[in-house]
Amino acid sequence: MNLATAKVWAGALCVFACYSFLWKENRFFRVFQNLYVGLAAGYSLVVNFNNVRRQAWGPLTTKGDIWVIIPMIFGIMLFARLFRKYAWIARYPMAFLMGLGSALSMKAIESDFVRQIQASLISWKGVGLGGTLNNLMLSLGTALALVYFFFTFKPNVVSNAAGRVGRWVLMLCFGAAFGSAVQGRLSLLISQMQFMLKDWLHLIS
Amino acid sequence: MNALKWFGDLDKRWLYLLLLLVVVFPLLRPLGIPIDVTASTSQFIAAVDKLAPGDRMLLVFDYSIGGGPDVDPQAQVVLAHALSRGVRVVEVAFVDTGLNYAVKTVELWESKGKVYGTDIICLGYATGVETAISAFAQNISAVFPTDVRGKPIGSYPIMQGLKTAADFKLITEFATGIPGPAEWIRQVVTRFKVPLGCGVVAVMGPQNVPYLQSGQLVGLLGGGLKSAAEYEIAVKMPGAATAAMDAQSLGHLMIVLFVILGNLLFLVERQERRAAKVGGVRA
Repeated sequence: MNLATAKVWAGALCVFACYSFLWKENRFFRVFQNLYVGLAAGYSLVVNFNNVRRQAWGPLTTKGDIWVIIPMIFGIMLFARLFRKYAWIARYPMAFLMGLGSALSMKAIESDFVRQIQASLISWKGVGLGGTLNNLMLSLGTALALVYFFFTFKPNVVSNAAGRVGRWVLMLCFGAAFGSAVQGRLSLLISQMQFMLKDWLHLIS
Repeated sequence: MNALKWFGDLDKRWLYLLLLLVVVFPLLRPLGIPIDVTASTSQFIAAVDKLAPGDRMLLVFDYSIGGGPDVDPQAQVVLAHALSRGVRVVEVAFVDTGLNYAVKTVELWESKGKVYGTDIICLGYATGVETAISAFAQNISAVFPTDVRGKPIGSYPIMQGLKTAADFKLITEFATGIPGPAEWIRQVVTRFKVPLGCGVVAVMGPQNVPYLQSGQLVGLLGGGLKSAAEYEIAVKMPGAATAAMDAQSLGHLMIVLFVILGNLLFLVERQERRAAKVGGVRA
């Protein structure tokens, strides 16, 4: 048995182990579950180690880029969390990271807020009846879903009714998300079956 | 009524077995159920078709192993389409497992005659999610001083003149979570005004449609494997996704049937509970 064939057989074994969970919880499944977790952790460790070596250690030692020392020190400081006595040291790089993250996400004001409001302000008249209905649903649906989240004034009959319709709009959205989730899970099953039938059993080309 | 109750009491493992059979049968005996190409997929194809031979496209592998079967066929067909038009492709990953797909893809195309460093290149993976994307967009060589093979990126013909994200004619990103379209729009599209097309797992599709409607995305493959199949059909490059569509359609049909039956059973049982309650009060 060559290496390629051994890989396929190992893959098939993994598929059997994972799907055996559908029959019942068993030791065979747990062994492969732990194997998966271990492999993922090992892979992540190696990739991130190489990342540090390439982006920080390499430029420092080959090009003499001393500026990369700063993020390297910040990175090492994060490990202080492992020692109770020096855990406070990790707060400084953490604070820096939080500040950086907050600053970067400020761009969402334009991309997720302003541009989305602009996109919602459309003419109701669309191309044909379907287009008009689509535009109406977009505008009214957005407005009604927002009404559902109004908590700052005393509700009345109109706001209650609008909020209720808004809730239906949200439910339709959740339904679409659920349908898509089912579609995604089914894709995973199909992909595994394609592997089993094609690469392992050679029943399809 | 009895049949419904029998269904309710059925061991769920029979349903798993039935689903398995429904999925496997069309893989063995394709039915040829027609596939329609949706507008968002057509828009994505049009964005790639706009590229001229020699233009550079960035292809981002931001997907995990778990979501790979849903998104990888999208990335593969978009890459095949771009390369077939003479477009040069730069690959990067901001999810560690994405690197694995990127490296394999480069090896595959090298074996088909594409020249590494001229037609296609893999810069590697950078940690830092949104921060890394922002840094990459501002200065590519600062985040990737060397490519995945350890050579300085400036030594490759494909990288000549590429300094920021604005130097790409098109960016295509394939994601299963964070980072995803939202991060790329925030850090790259908003600032550098580069056209961005995204492919995502089916569950992320609906939440990214507003970006397409607002024009922040030039194309969206939001239906997972289904979108990949649409793309394959439209560009006449049928592959694994197209072959999977019969199984997907039949699997969905079965699940819809289960949902209807489950709801009918719920209504019947609720009616019986109410009747029993009223009967109990009267007694």
